[in-house]
Amino acid sequence: MMTPVQQVVMAIIQITVLVSIILLIVPLMTFAERKVIGYIQVRLGATRQAGGIRGFAAGINKLSWAMGRIPILSFFRGLPVFAADGLKLLLKEDIVPDRADRFVFVIAPVICMIPAFATFAVICFYPGTLFTFPTTFPIIGGLPFTGFLTDINVGLLYIMAVGSIGVYGIVLGGWASNSKYPLLGGLRSAAQIISYEIPLSLSLLVAVVLSGTLNFRELSLYLAGVPMVTAAGEIVQMPLIAAIPLFFGFFFYITCGFAETNRVPFDLAEAETELVSGFHTEYSGMKFAWFMLAEYANMMAVSAIAAGFFLGGHYLLPFGLQRFVPDSIPFLAQPSLLFFFGKVFFLLFTFLWVRATLPRYRYDQLMSVGWKWLIPVTLVNLVIAATIRLIF
Amino acid sequence: MFKNEELEINLGPQHPSTHGVLRVKLRLDGETIVKCTPIVGYLHRGVEKICENKTFFQGQVWTDRMDYVAAVSNNLGWAESVEKLFGIHVPRRAHYVRTMMTELNRISSHLLWLGTHALDIGAMTVFLYAFREREQILDCFESFCGARLTTTAFRIGGLREDIPPGFIKQVQAFQDRFLDCIDEYETLLTENRIWKRRTIGIAPINADECIAFGVTGPVLRAAGVKYDVRKAFPYAAYAEMNFEIPTRTEADTYARYLVRLEEFRQSHHIIQQCIDGLPEGNVMAKIPKVLKSEVNEIYHPIEAPKGELGYYLVGEKGGQNPYRFHVRGPSFVNLQALPQMTEGRLLADVIAAIGTLDVVLGEVDR
Repeated sequence: MMTPVQQVVMAIIQITVLVSIILLIVPLMTFAERKVIGYIQVRLGATRQAGGIRGFAAGINKLSWAMGRIPILSFFRGLPVFAADGLKLLLKEDIVPDRADRFVFVIAPVICMIPAFATFAVICFYPGTLFTFPTTFPIIGGLPFTGFLTDINVGLLYIMAVGSIGVYGIVLGGWASNSKYPLLGGLRSAAQIISYEIPLSLSLLVAVVLSGTLNFRELSLYLAGVPMVTAAGEIVQMPLIAAIPLFFGFFFYITCGFAETNRVPFDLAEAETELVSGFHTEYSGMKFAWFMLAEYANMMAVSAIAAGFFLGGHYLLPFGLQRFVPDSIPFLAQPSLLFFFGKVFFLLFTFLWVRATLPRYRYDQLMSVGWKWLIPVTLVNLVIAATIRLIF
Repeated sequence: MFKNEELEINLGPQHPSTHGVLRVKLRLDGETIVKCTPIVGYLHRGVEKICENKTFFQGQVWTDRMDYVAAVSNNLGWAESVEKLFGIHVPRRAHYVRTMMTELNRISSHLLWLGTHALDIGAMTVFLYAFREREQILDCFESFCGARLTTTAFRIGGLREDIPPGFIKQVQAFQDRFLDCIDEYETLLTENRIWKRRTIGIAPINADECIAFGVTGPVLRAAGVKYDVRKAFPYAAYAEMNFEIPTRTEADTYARYLVRLEEFRQSHHIIQQCIDGLPEGNVMAKIPKVLKSEVNEIYHPIEAPKGELGYYLVGEKGGQNPYRFHVRGPSFVNLQALPQMTEGRLLADVIAAIGTLDVVLGEVDR
């Protein structure tokens, strides 16, 4: 057993690592957004950025253009822009509008950001020990560094509870700005997120009903379809037929996830061409950056949850099909950080892909999609999952 | 205890999707439009009055600045109305080149419409695809007359110069790939469920209302009225061209989208006929160095990309400049239908309605 001191030190180390990873991925996401959308839209700047006219790299780029291909070496050009972006946001003058509710205006981005980061506390990136600290280390010597921060048995409940706090930041931010467009943006966001919270929870309930647990790690292991030892000591394995509700649940969850994170085609709260910038119109500098951080962190959280529950989590195959991977190939049969992050990044890419492709829903259409379509189908899906649970 | 209050909101003049400096005053009940008042005039320069103080040759430069995305159409209207005023006969080759340029301009204007309209509704990518093709057309303009946007493409009496060598090849290169490009836009939008939900039944205006407001162009044709100045009162070389006037009957945003997409194809078809049938010969009629008018008045309409663009010119005896000049700008007239299209609907529909009307504020305000 760990002593309290060891627990605290371990927690601090793990939290530091986790937050650093999120804070690294989020700016990289803005870079990826520029690049991915740039390539989809054939933007000239983003696809040839800072190519240079001489040197080896420029030569390769020229050759690939001449061959009619997108130059591979330009994929990572423009990478320093994200650092410049961060610097700009830090140094920018922080304006609070004259008649704004000062306290609420300042606190709103914080309310938005903290739950976005707090969600990661229960997300299991790897269902075991990543490495053990050498015994020569002071205090924490010999302790394992796990792939998850906490392993609480109400993980999913925690995610849903914390996740729904974030919307207060948006609503309050829009209201406190004392400006008309942000107000409309905030109101839209409130209605939207409350409506989509229901189908979101219903689609996640499928996973809970099938596995009978709320623990993130156990959920992801069970839903990957590998035999799992429960706390009571019995070996359980998901029935193959459960892949059906899981498969549909994934699409419902991702759809609601787009709405929860305010991304296209549900980005009504910040619909640029209608509400200028929606709820964060009056925000600038670091406060605006916090909203951005929250949005991207939420995208990551949604991707991680979708990957963990529906796409097989730490295993190779999604929807509980992992059982078909032969044990003879240990690399494919074992859980791996690589598989998990591969899925997360693919889902993050999907966010960008959709943004470049789809138009935006109108406010009332969004509501009717949520209430008249998503809630009924997620309910049916839940009933199917419950039936499977009862019979098999 | 609770009371409802209407929210008054200014859409513009600085707003991402009012296409320039249009200001729309909206009274909102929730997100529903109670009253919509377009307020214009932020870009007023007095083009008509200025032209009355310029000679007939100088006036053309000012027409570029009205509908600046369709400068060639404006130039054609000006050149033809002055020619009509003085009874000048333009060589056939010049007519063909003018027709070709004007149709290229129609495509570039519609491309700008398509891009911005889709962007307003949230589909970002179409915007950049459309601008990619527009770039190619602007390159053609550049090699024809040196300018890309404010072209001053024609001269009274014909063309200043014949088309440069290699120009036909350049236009043909555009022609060869453009039909595929239209298909590309269609794959992104035409069958897209969200696009359809955002446009079908949105901002409707039926044929009677269109006629009452004087609305012309694709908006009128999408309401089922087969009126196109190119067919009704042929000018330039349009009488010799073989083309269709696309119409729809749904009279909504989606119908206008389909009409304009079909106009892409028809324009493409006309340009091809101009290239294939381009006659040899002069491009400039013999005209005096100084044009002095008689007492005379003319109204000359042409089909600009946005609708009927009419020039009303009055000459006085011995005058070197127009005595009175008035423009019937399609953007200005079409914009008057905006309240009719949007009142009682939602905020997001105003954006779609402004986009589908395809107004250019340079022409609205003049």
